[in-house]
Order: sequence, then C-alpha cells, then structure tokens
Amino acid sequence: MKYFEDVQVGETMRFGRYEVTREEILEYARQFDPQPFHLDEEAARQSLYGGLIASGWHTGAMFIRMVCDGMIAGNATVGAKGFDDLRWIKPVRPGDVLSVESEVREKIEGRRPDFGTVKIESRISNQRGEVVMSLVSLVLYRRRPSGSA
Amino acid sequence: MKHWEDFEIGETTELGSHRITEAEILAFARKYDPQPFHTDPVAARASLYGGLIASGWHTCALMMRLSVEANRREQAAATGSPGLDSCRWLKPVRPDDVLTGRTEVLETWPSRSKPIGFVRRRIEMLNQHGDVVVAIVGITMYRRRPALEEAAS
Repeated sequence: MKYFEDVQVGETMRFGRYEVTREEILEYARQFDPQPFHLDEEAARQSLYGGLIASGWHTGAMFIRMVCDGMIAGNATVGAKGFDDLRWIKPVRPGDVLSVESEVREKIEGRRPDFGTVKIESRISNQRGEVVMSLVSLVLYRRRPSGSA
Repeated sequence: MKHWEDFEIGETTELGSHRITEAEILAFARKYDPQPFHTDPVAARASLYGGLIASGWHTCALMMRLSVEANRREQAAATGSPGLDSCRWLKPVRPDDVLTGRTEVLETWPSRSKPIGFVRRRIEMLNQHGDVVVAIVGITMYRRRPALEEAAS
C-alpha cells in the first residue's frame, strides 16, 4: 500500500482510456447540464462550439472515473478536499478518447497526524494529444500506520 | 435577455434546491466515482466518513443543474465556462440532504476577441443545516448585448 510518506514530488502517472459517446454526453447533459450546446445537435452547430460538446463537469466526472480505475488502486487515498485551477481548454466531442497524465506537485503535512494532502496536477487529453482539461487536485492520503512496512 | 453588461459586482443569486437521494448517490458513483464510501453503504459506515456520502463531482453536477435553471429564470445568455479557480468540498453530502445554492459576482471583464464577457463568481452549496458543503470560485461566459440593442437602450 502506498501511503502519504511514499508519495514523491515529481512522480508522474499515465492512465485511463475513456471513449466519449454521443449517448453519454446527452444523458449527462439532460440530468445535470441542460444547455443547448450539450443537448441539441442543431443548436450546438449554431453555437460558439460548432457542434455538440460534453459538459465540462461531465469531463470532470470521466476524469474521476479514470482516476478510480487507473490511479488509486494500491494507494491509501481517502477522497479529496477539492481542486484548484480547473481549466476547460478544448471542447470534448462524441467519439473522443480521453486519457490522463498526472504529476505530484506538492505534499502538505497539515495538522492531522493520520492524513496528509498531496497536490496532483492532471492533464486530460484527447486522442490527438490535445489537452482538453487540466486541474490541480488536493488528494487526501493516509499516513503509514506505525509498525507497518 | 440578460447579457454580460447586465451583471454587477456584488450581485447575488439564490439557486433552487435539490433533495439528494441514496439511489441518486449510488447511481452517480457507480458510473463515475466508484470508491467504497460512495457506492457501498456498509463499507461507507466503516470509512472515515461514517456513512455513505455523495461524490464531490456529483455535488458539483447538482450545482451546475441549479445554475442552469437560474440562468433560464433570469434569461441569462450564458455560453459556457473556461474553468474554475478553486473548489473545496467542505462537508460530506449524505442521502436525503436538501441542498440549496447561492452565488455572488466578484468580477467582470470583456473578451478581447469575441462578443462575450466573463463573470467570476463565488458559488456555495449549503445543506439543510446551513453548512456550506462546497465552495467554488468559477468563471462563466455570457454573450454581450448586440450593438443595435445597445444603441436603443
């Protein structure tokens, strides 16, 4: 198990492969972000974006799914306090395939003896290597229990 | 129609409310955030959180839903977002919590290249006890008032 003490500033991870479908874009948008450019093909064509795009929060949700599947196994993470500097850089469209590159930026000891916070910068890219979203997550890691190796 | 020009610094908006059910928490988490404290009520009891809690990304999604509805009520010409400065999940969100939202405009500035402007605002979601569960500073883009309308107003 990888604890707070084991995380190294500068270490990098690459993970995830998420195929974005039209159906899922529409399903998420209907439930959480019913704006025309996420919901309606014709209205989206006439919008700033020139076609249907995923809700930015949907891209965030796909990111956390890739984190759950590809990053946190074997890590003593217990959720996150939040994030900073989230940028939606390029539209995400039906047929895009997303993946993640992450880098540990900083470790914050904090006041709690049992947890520490790790700042991890992640870039989510599409199949052309274009970064579509980036953010700095504040991930909570358990500290190594005393006596365990 | 409410355009970028119509937003004023300090202006506040009350978002509507949403009661989050256990079924919603489980459905969202199984699709997007399958960590045991979001997907398994029994495992969640033994976790740090002492019971099932909603994914933070689910709370944000509900904030978005309430914001879209508020924009619709105000007929605001919202046209997406370049991102957020910060988001903090301050308190757990649990089944049957009733979430409400409030926003305050912090800053506005025009785009140099497009007929839009930006509004930076603080957004808070609160539970039925008045605790802030998520605090966000985010940016929204709005269309500018067309020149003809400007001349006529």
